[in-house]
Amino acid sequence: MKLSIKEWVGPRCIIKEDGQKIYEVIHGLLKSGQTISLDFNGVSQFASPFFNFAIGQLLNDISEDELRRLLIIENLNESGSLVVDRVIENAAQYHGDKDYQKIVDDILEQQARESD
Amino acid sequence: MTQKIIQIPTLNDTPEDFQQLFEMSNQVNGLFEDVCFDFSHCWFLRSNAVAFLGGLARRIESLGGSVFFDWDTLRSNSVRANLCQNGFAGNFGYNAKAWSGHSIPYREEMEPDMNEIMDYLTFSWIGKWVNVTDRLRDAISGRMWEIYSNAFEHSGTEVGVFTCGQHFWHRNDLILTVVDFGLGIPAKVKAFLSQFVDEARVSKLSGAECMKWAFERGNTTSMGGVARGLGLDLLKEFVRVNQGKLEVYSNAGYAIIDKEGERFDNCPISFQGTVVHITLRCDEKLYRFYDETEELF
Repeated sequence: MKLSIKEWVGPRCIIKEDGQKIYEVIHGLLKSGQTISLDFNGVSQFASPFFNFAIGQLLNDISEDELRRLLIIENLNESGSLVVDRVIENAAQYHGDKDYQKIVDDILEQQARESD
Repeated sequence: MTQKIIQIPTLNDTPEDFQQLFEMSNQVNGLFEDVCFDFSHCWFLRSNAVAFLGGLARRIESLGGSVFFDWDTLRSNSVRANLCQNGFAGNFGYNAKAWSGHSIPYREEMEPDMNEIMDYLTFSWIGKWVNVTDRLRDAISGRMWEIYSNAFEHSGTEVGVFTCGQHFWHRNDLILTVVDFGLGIPAKVKAFLSQFVDEARVSKLSGAECMKWAFERGNTTSMGGVARGLGLDLLKEFVRVNQGKLEVYSNAGYAIIDKEGERFDNCPISFQGTVVHITLRCDEKLYRFYDETEELF
């Protein structure tokens, strides 16, 4: 299946709502093992909220290897590619259950050291 | 009801100038009264101050007060011309129409109208002053959107987002300031962390440390199972490549990203909200793509 992003959201892939729209179309298909091609021909502006929702959240229940095998991205310019790469990297490392207790303790310790 | 008169001093964009703006903001916190802004002592007003004053005025109105800019007190013709040109004066009771010049229009956004904001960034800001290819212009506008995305999505602003900018011929710098009067980044970080950690401990975090946490890649105060936290990271990377400067003031926290790296500090005066002040260099060589030069974008 090939999806023209310009037809679905227009020439700007910026906001999360548009990203969610794409996610809802492709998520089920990818889960069932179908190959999908996202064609960015005619899309010229990009920002991370769009890709966080369109692609990043796919990694919640699809492995990175599987996603790279099934999802083909075409005609995405360098600026968009940079954002997508960063989004995939970030989503692959994302854990909703971070140890915030330790994070705060570490920051406070650092803060105390700096004020000494 | 008595009228409170607030003097607008001469304001540039150094940290000391921002502190003066925050002091003014704190003067009207919680006031439900009429406020008159007096220009008698104002001989220069940088675009960051314009965006801030516009937002402050709308905030006062949202608190039930009224705002009056006393244009009769304005003695500097250059300040008057600039405020007329960028549309600020016309927005606040002065009979003047904006015109196109070196200023970048003053804007108030109540809603995140993506196309309007992107048109502004693409055609009135970067596209107007920097002679770059269309795709590079589009790429830069996309990075700038991250500022608006943060302001609308995370700040909880009730009075919108305020923007102004300027192009400086002599230094060939392009400036954009985006202001919101929402919760502020340190407050948002503390509220987020308090869901997981004892509030008494979280409250000890300084403004600087909260800013540092917010600027780390992947850190976000959003919940909901979608990885976020890239906006500030993408923006700071872009500013570094451009050899520009990104400054963020929020509550008592301050962040600066420039050619010397990134630093975080505590401000002597806290204000409720966030100011993003970005300075880009209009040097075409600093903006090329891989396939245009060896420079990284």
